[in-house]
Amino acid sequence: MNMKKILAAGMLAALCLSGCKLVKTEEAGKEAAANGPGGDQERIATLVASTYDAKLVPKLTETAVDISTLLPAIKANLDDAGKAYGLRVGGAGGGWNFSVKGTAPVVDADLVSKAAVAQLDFDGDGKADATLQLGPVVKGSAIRDTSAIYDFSTFRDQIEYAKLGRALNDKAVSGLAVPESGLKGKTVTFVGAVSIRSAGEVPLITPVSLEVGR
Amino acid sequence: MKITRRLLVSVCVLTLSGVVPGFAMAADTIAIITPSHDNPFFKAEADGAAAKAKELGYDTMVLVHDDDANKQNELFDSAIAAGVKAIILDNAGADASVAAVQKAKDKGIPSFLIDREITTTGVAVSQIVSNNYQGAQLGAEEFVKLMGEKGNYAELVGKESDTNAGIRSQGYHDVIDQYAELKSVAKQTANWSQTEAYTVMESILQAHPDIKGVISGNDTMAMGAYAALEAAGRKDVIVVGFDGSNDVRDSIKNGGIKATVLQPAYSQAQLAVEQADKFIKTGSTGLEEKQLMDCVLINADNAAKLETFALSN
Repeated sequence: MNMKKILAAGMLAALCLSGCKLVKTEEAGKEAAANGPGGDQERIATLVASTYDAKLVPKLTETAVDISTLLPAIKANLDDAGKAYGLRVGGAGGGWNFSVKGTAPVVDADLVSKAAVAQLDFDGDGKADATLQLGPVVKGSAIRDTSAIYDFSTFRDQIEYAKLGRALNDKAVSGLAVPESGLKGKTVTFVGAVSIRSAGEVPLITPVSLEVGR
Repeated sequence: MKITRRLLVSVCVLTLSGVVPGFAMAADTIAIITPSHDNPFFKAEADGAAAKAKELGYDTMVLVHDDDANKQNELFDSAIAAGVKAIILDNAGADASVAAVQKAKDKGIPSFLIDREITTTGVAVSQIVSNNYQGAQLGAEEFVKLMGEKGNYAELVGKESDTNAGIRSQGYHDVIDQYAELKSVAKQTANWSQTEAYTVMESILQAHPDIKGVISGNDTMAMGAYAALEAAGRKDVIVVGFDGSNDVRDSIKNGGIKATVLQPAYSQAQLAVEQADKFIKTGSTGLEEKQLMDCVLINADNAAKLETFALSN
């Protein structure tokens, strides 16, 4: 075993020595510029336009589990809940993604922040059980990751994939109608997506549809 | 000087190998190729991969390419010649590395990439990378909070040929740019290097003495920047890094650097070896090629739990 290592090192050394005149090439980066922000932006816009209404929203709506079913299941065992209702993207951890729906009263809302949110109470104790993101700043990439529509392997790199996540978030919250009179005390019905990484966290839901009741 | 020493060592090893004309294969070997172990992040990767490989009964061949694509190419030749069963790679350039990985594939040797992506899919078996965008957003959210949502700041960017430099910068800006009172006064590369970051920070400080914060694309640059700030008596400047190194952990604990973002380097490398093992034995990992691993924010609240790129519970 050691001998093999030594031999390998020897061969390596021989190669290193023979390759002494290393020429620095102005590689990489340059080529990527051709795929730069402009090109990406256009490709992503086209992809979002062709998939958001046609595939993503129907898929999320169709697979959505009622959050009052999901929350207790997550508390009991996240992995079991994930296997029953969720989707794990990438296989290397990063939690479970769920499409969710529900109707609940808003116990608190912050519509002033750039990352506006509504706090929802699902079990009737008057305390928030989940947070609904209303934008324009949206955290995470739950919408992108909750359907199997967008496979990371088919994108050039993380940059392009991240741009998709951002574009989908922007698209989702830009379509939400939040009444000027505010949300606190009203009942909302939504369909959305959420990523859960630990059973203890408060779900941060990104909605794709929102109806505000009285 | 360093090069001389390395060459000398190589020559010694070469001489040694001359003494051993033949050998029998004891176990299968996995090659582990990363950038220089001078950055503890890459050392943690190599250690994590080597430990897992050993646990699974493999010999290892641990090599460093020093972020030089030509050298990486030569290392691939060595690994191929040595008949390794798989290559674990943290590559030397997203575009420049495709050919080397393809060359190994053509010889029937699968590659499992960690940390950095290459720009082509279908060449490597797995590409397991940290979710740099998610991590950068965590770091940026903390930075915004620390800055009180306003003030002048500088950004240190990593090596341009590495996709991670661009993705982290984008993640930072997608958050920070939402705050109109946070003004970017300087954005410069320091090529992931501590010494370069020190020099760059010195000149930024001269041009913009009113700077309030520095957000850095990795921890080594954050360490360099903080050293320059400290030397200039500007320990008030808020510094946030990325990687989760023990150096930055200690700085956070001592009230120096304020935050960083942990990439699970050790477990990521171990995961790559597990997938390599499964692929060697069954011909498939059963997983998608590209996989993202979440990052975790590290600040004064949890810094004590951080050790060698892993967080204990």
